[in-house]
Amino acid sequence: MSIGLAFSVFFKVLGNRDFAGRLTEWMARPAIPEPKAAAPKPDAPRRTEAIELLATLQREGRLVDFLQEKLDGYSDAQVGAAVRDIHRDCRATVQRLFGIEPLVAQAEGSTISLPATPDPGLWKLTGRVGQGSQGRLCHPGWKITRHDLPAWSGSDAAARVIAPADVEIT
Amino acid sequence: MSTATYSIGIDLGTTNSALAFVALDDPSARVQLLDIPQHVTATSTEARPLLPSFTYLPPEDTGSTALVGLFARTQSADVPTRTIAAAKSWLCHTRVDRHQPILPWNAPAEVHKRSPVEVSALYLRHLVAAWNQQFPDTPFAHQHVTLTVPASFDASARDLTREAAASAGFPGDFVLLEEPQAALYAWLAARGDTWRKDLRVGDLILVCDIGGGTTDLTLIAVREQDGDLELARLAVGNHILVGGDNMDLALAFTAQHLFKEKGHDLDPWQSVSLWHACRAAKESLLAADGPASHPVTILGRGSRVIGGAISVDLTRDQVQATLGDGFFPACALSDKPAKRPTSGFKQLGLPYESDTAITRHLARFLTDHGDDGQPAARPTRLLFNGGVFKAAALKQRVRDSFRTWFGDDGVPAVLAGEEDLDFAVARGAAFYGQAKRQGGVRIRGGTARAYYIGIETAGLAVPGAPRPLHALCVVPHGMEEGTATSVPGEEIGLVVGEPVHFRFFSSATRTTDRPGDLLTRWADGELEETDPLEMSLAAAENAEGGYVPVTIETRITELGTLELWCASTVSAEKWKLEFSVREQE
Repeated sequence: MSIGLAFSVFFKVLGNRDFAGRLTEWMARPAIPEPKAAAPKPDAPRRTEAIELLATLQREGRLVDFLQEKLDGYSDAQVGAAVRDIHRDCRATVQRLFGIEPLVAQAEGSTISLPATPDPGLWKLTGRVGQGSQGRLCHPGWKITRHDLPAWSGSDAAARVIAPADVEIT
Repeated sequence: MSTATYSIGIDLGTTNSALAFVALDDPSARVQLLDIPQHVTATSTEARPLLPSFTYLPPEDTGSTALVGLFARTQSADVPTRTIAAAKSWLCHTRVDRHQPILPWNAPAEVHKRSPVEVSALYLRHLVAAWNQQFPDTPFAHQHVTLTVPASFDASARDLTREAAASAGFPGDFVLLEEPQAALYAWLAARGDTWRKDLRVGDLILVCDIGGGTTDLTLIAVREQDGDLELARLAVGNHILVGGDNMDLALAFTAQHLFKEKGHDLDPWQSVSLWHACRAAKESLLAADGPASHPVTILGRGSRVIGGAISVDLTRDQVQATLGDGFFPACALSDKPAKRPTSGFKQLGLPYESDTAITRHLARFLTDHGDDGQPAARPTRLLFNGGVFKAAALKQRVRDSFRTWFGDDGVPAVLAGEEDLDFAVARGAAFYGQAKRQGGVRIRGGTARAYYIGIETAGLAVPGAPRPLHALCVVPHGMEEGTATSVPGEEIGLVVGEPVHFRFFSSATRTTDRPGDLLTRWADGELEETDPLEMSLAAAENAEGGYVPVTIETRITELGTLELWCASTVSAEKWKLEFSVREQE
């Protein structure tokens, strides 16, 4: 980004006298002290719902371990054996927390009627958009029917932790 | 209580507890489940409909108190010495003092232990708090509450349950209901009025309820009363300490062996995942059209989840062999559960069944309750309850046993409708409270057991031999709530100034004994000894010659509590006998 900008400014200065003049003026401006803002507080560590969701999927389905692991060197069978469990557990978790259901009930491939002014958040239209109010349902979409994330009660130091370090006392 | 808005049903289970509720004044209201907030990790809480009946006791210096629920269940594998499981099974274990801090059993000295009654109260208090948090305008203590207990719990275990509930903030007029009856109430609730078409006069319903820790059997008859159908509980089984957890453990043991053959030794931490994986494999393999084999995978403990994963294939045959043959073997109707001779060094602990064959316990239960000259009771309907029966093949095993015993047309029909194996007991209890208030359908039955006081015979003492013991029936089988009886027969002399102890027995099989009947002999296993009764008369009390002649009176309260009183025959005084749940010799 900065190298690209430097080149473009360089060539613009060379080829555009007006720009070169304005740039000279700008560079010669008196250094105005920035308004003294209150010293910005460091962000208080905050447990967001996104962190809690990651922590839950890791705890119940080992999802973060799975995403962080490199797959090179494992056979498809090895990956498959582990994924079956991860899938089962993550699926159960997501289902419990969100109650995921198809957005529209019609079968994939069936013809579907659209409302007069389709909300782009609900309908993704492709093909001859604007011509007619019917189309073929390529994907029924998904929606959540619940939103029940675990509540957090840990310390500030633990707010960004997805999985605690696991230590066995011997 | 007139201020109650809801009927609340609580299933205090050996491994899971649940709370269901229904509005009292709206007959069309549906029974709902309460989501119970609980720790899922040390730092996160989540609301779930099931509260695992586990308690984790963190080290004192961490400042946290006992935690119950899901996190505690996870900890039971990670930190077993600080986790309490199956407190309910300890409640009815007569060889230990259930008011003493003994749990976790065998925990090291630095762990601050709790008593079985205290732990049961912890779960109940958690449920009460969850309710009060979500329904601040209709506090728990003012609702109509029904708490379930195993049908096989005797009067003493029921008393302890009642004590735990009272200390957890239950209303004074809460009712105890037997779990298999609650399961049938849940079925009645789900069927609505169609149940009268589902059942016929003369039907005999067997409720086969296999929970995490216990197997609970009950027979309920369908009779006619004033032209209408009436349900009557005829018999309950003995306390059978074998359940779904034993099955999962047995399966995990099989799988562990398979891992060992592949050269993997599992550590205790991995055994949790193993239980989890085995339960999933069981339900898949034993489903109606399940596959022939199912992989059981244990993911690595470190962050390498794929690299650390180990896997074996569990086959349908192996599961059938372990569970089917181990817990539901084919047997004859005349078979009795095997008794293993106890070794001299028997470790004190829960008295788990030495015979895990549920089919043999079932055969014994049916032959114990044969009627009208029949060698065994022949149920015509069957209601399954408990998570174990999510595996369809296990239901089939039970039905197969009936085919062996009574022929093709002797297999009871499974009650129609959708099953709710995890929540039926809590739901049924809530529905029962509502039906009771609105005059809806009720299962009649009275006490499930007859009770006896042990009387040592007077006679020549033989050195080294105990005096022969007779048993005086004080409560007949089927004594109804809200009734009292005085026991006819000779007076008993109570010595003043000394504590009096009575040995106390119960029987689920002797259904014809009347109060005052004195048994001089009984078949092995017919009478079960429970906690003794005790009482102390102050020396100052009106007594001539140092003793008071009394007769025994018994009372079953409206709430189903058993009370025994000694009534003086020379004055109007009465003294109540209390259960002594202290450790026995």
